[in-house]
Amino acid sequence: MTGRTRAARRQALLLLAPTLVALTALTVYPGCWVVWLSLQHRVPIFGVARFAGLDNFAFLAVDPRFWSAARTTAAFTALSVALELLLGVAVALALARQQRGRRLGLSLLLLAWAMPSVVTAKLYEWLYHPTAGLINVLLGAHAINWLGDPRLALPAVILADVWRSMPFVALLCYARLRTIPAELYEAAQVDGAGRLATLGRVTLPLLGRIVLLALLFRTLDALRAFDIMFVLTGGGPAGTTETLTVYAYRSLFQMLQLGFGSAISVVVFALVMGAAWAYLRLLRPRAVVA
Amino acid sequence: MRRLLLVLCVAVLSGCGGSALERGPVTLVFKYARILGPADPVPELLHEFEAAHPNVRVRGEALPWTSDEQHQFYVINLEGRSPGFDVMMLDVIWVPEFARAGWLLDLTPGLHPGELAPYFPSTVEAATDHGRVWALPWNMNVGLLYYRADLLGKYGLAPPETFDELARQVVRIQAGERDPALDGYLWQAKQYEGLVVNVLEAFWANGTRLLADDGTLFPEPGRAAEALGFLRGLIASGVSPAWTPAADEELSRRAFGDGRAVFLRNWPYAMDLFQARDSPVRGRVGIAPLPGLAGGPRGAGSTGGAHLGVSRRSRHPELAVDLARFLTSERAQKAIALGAALSPTREALYHDPGLVRSRPELPALHALMRAGRSRPVTPYYLLLSSTVQPEFSAVLVGLKAPARAIGDARLRLSHFLDALR
Repeated sequence: MTGRTRAARRQALLLLAPTLVALTALTVYPGCWVVWLSLQHRVPIFGVARFAGLDNFAFLAVDPRFWSAARTTAAFTALSVALELLLGVAVALALARQQRGRRLGLSLLLLAWAMPSVVTAKLYEWLYHPTAGLINVLLGAHAINWLGDPRLALPAVILADVWRSMPFVALLCYARLRTIPAELYEAAQVDGAGRLATLGRVTLPLLGRIVLLALLFRTLDALRAFDIMFVLTGGGPAGTTETLTVYAYRSLFQMLQLGFGSAISVVVFALVMGAAWAYLRLLRPRAVVA
Repeated sequence: MRRLLLVLCVAVLSGCGGSALERGPVTLVFKYARILGPADPVPELLHEFEAAHPNVRVRGEALPWTSDEQHQFYVINLEGRSPGFDVMMLDVIWVPEFARAGWLLDLTPGLHPGELAPYFPSTVEAATDHGRVWALPWNMNVGLLYYRADLLGKYGLAPPETFDELARQVVRIQAGERDPALDGYLWQAKQYEGLVVNVLEAFWANGTRLLADDGTLFPEPGRAAEALGFLRGLIASGVSPAWTPAADEELSRRAFGDGRAVFLRNWPYAMDLFQARDSPVRGRVGIAPLPGLAGGPRGAGSTGGAHLGVSRRSRHPELAVDLARFLTSERAQKAIALGAALSPTREALYHDPGLVRSRPELPALHALMRAGRSRPVTPYYLLLSSTVQPEFSAVLVGLKAPARAIGDARLRLSHFLDALR
């Protein structure tokens, strides 16, 4: 190693140091602390702190509220992410073809995405209002009991989340579409490809990786979803919209069960890491397509 | 997860901060939820306190909006030993928990004999744990029945004393009005604290409780199941609309205020809004005690409200106690009752001529407040509440039988309470 590369290396480390220190202090240390907490019975305000081994996890294994929250999290993640991807890609395709009003469309999309999710939740609380809400006023006599019916509450929450997060997918895909060279389409045209064939053989394959990336971000966010159901339904009715993070929050900050709540957090953490790992494998660089 | 990390960081950082040298005048920090409306009377009161204590500055700092966030704020800061505030506004249900956690200053030694006598006894009970007083009652709430006086009058009906009567009146008025948009009885069954309050009121009406004095949960499970079944029946029979399991205070208050219901269970604050100049129900609303069950005790509303406590970490405990005392004094409570739709904790104010002139409902409220009952006064109240919420909600949407929900709640609670012992 020459003196020059060594110096460059040292400089690189120096530049990385603040990030590493911040990551360790803000993520690694508290992360390990949470794992440690999850192995204890800990209710600090009542002076309860003793090692519990895997007790908390053993209780989780037979806790119906935990399993219900796990199912809700899975359903919420699968449905909301699937809808967001489908609609997001469709909206991006529509926007890319649009000649006029594209700026307006983009601004409207950004508006929904830029809104804090608590505001979105409040907005939907009024839209879903059983008697005065816009949705039920439009439905007239067929008014629907959105948030009070255990079968409809989760779909209602998913709808609100799709409205908020779909623009993220749409904007990513739209940006990718803009970088596809026009020659590719011209070539496809020369080869006699119709509209559908162009979409299926040229556009969608080129969108593939960016869609996968959007899928990664959205899945991780959906697994940790909290604000929207917390404000909209509080997890109800009958716990049908309570996700794992809502359950963790209630255990930590309302029931003040730090050990038990941390055990739920550890499960969420494992889920998120597992999903991230699986996606990153899929995203590993292959033969470059474009 | 992200929140948890945040907490831990705050806990770590707050350990390193603080201990700034004190210079010049003493500053007290008062944490409270801003009072909505044209005039928040609190800043004026804080200036008055400063005028009487020349070397003291008081900073009023806003708490987050929702009760959940306020609780979270206090837990993080108090558990992290932050000395950032002196006097704090507390939801009445937190007082025993905070006292047991050692976060509150024991006010008992400084109390003059008879100092607490002017307050409603239930507010003092809620501020007491193990015979010590931990907070001073600041404002008060009680569950009550709002009814449409014009509609009841039209059919020659008096406000109902029992739920059977209420149900009959709803059927009669709905049949007569032939308005499909007119609902019967509105109350709160969204899965949150308000649901527990409504269920407790049904328990009391059926002569039972959630927590016995000896700590037994659901001391009479049969009666509790009956009360839950009765509430489910209100929804199933259509006396209360199908959306009741999504209703919180504001949602139900809005529907009643738009003239879309005959009866509403809510807190006293709603009256001001019903009597506002542009309200569709202005001048047509009456208040009455909550109905009871036939043959049972008279209905009682659940009490709520805010207390003022002093942080054990306060650097100026004597001054902080003085401030809490000043803000709960008759003068201050009168100013607050005049400027905002909050009701005092001192009984005499309900008959104060100056106050009654601008708040004519106060004398009627007095009897309701007196008859009101506290939610279980226990340090585990939030554990109790967040455990029973999904169970009660499951009964009210018809997913679980009442007896099973009670059994499941008991099982879970005993698991957590065992770890506390």
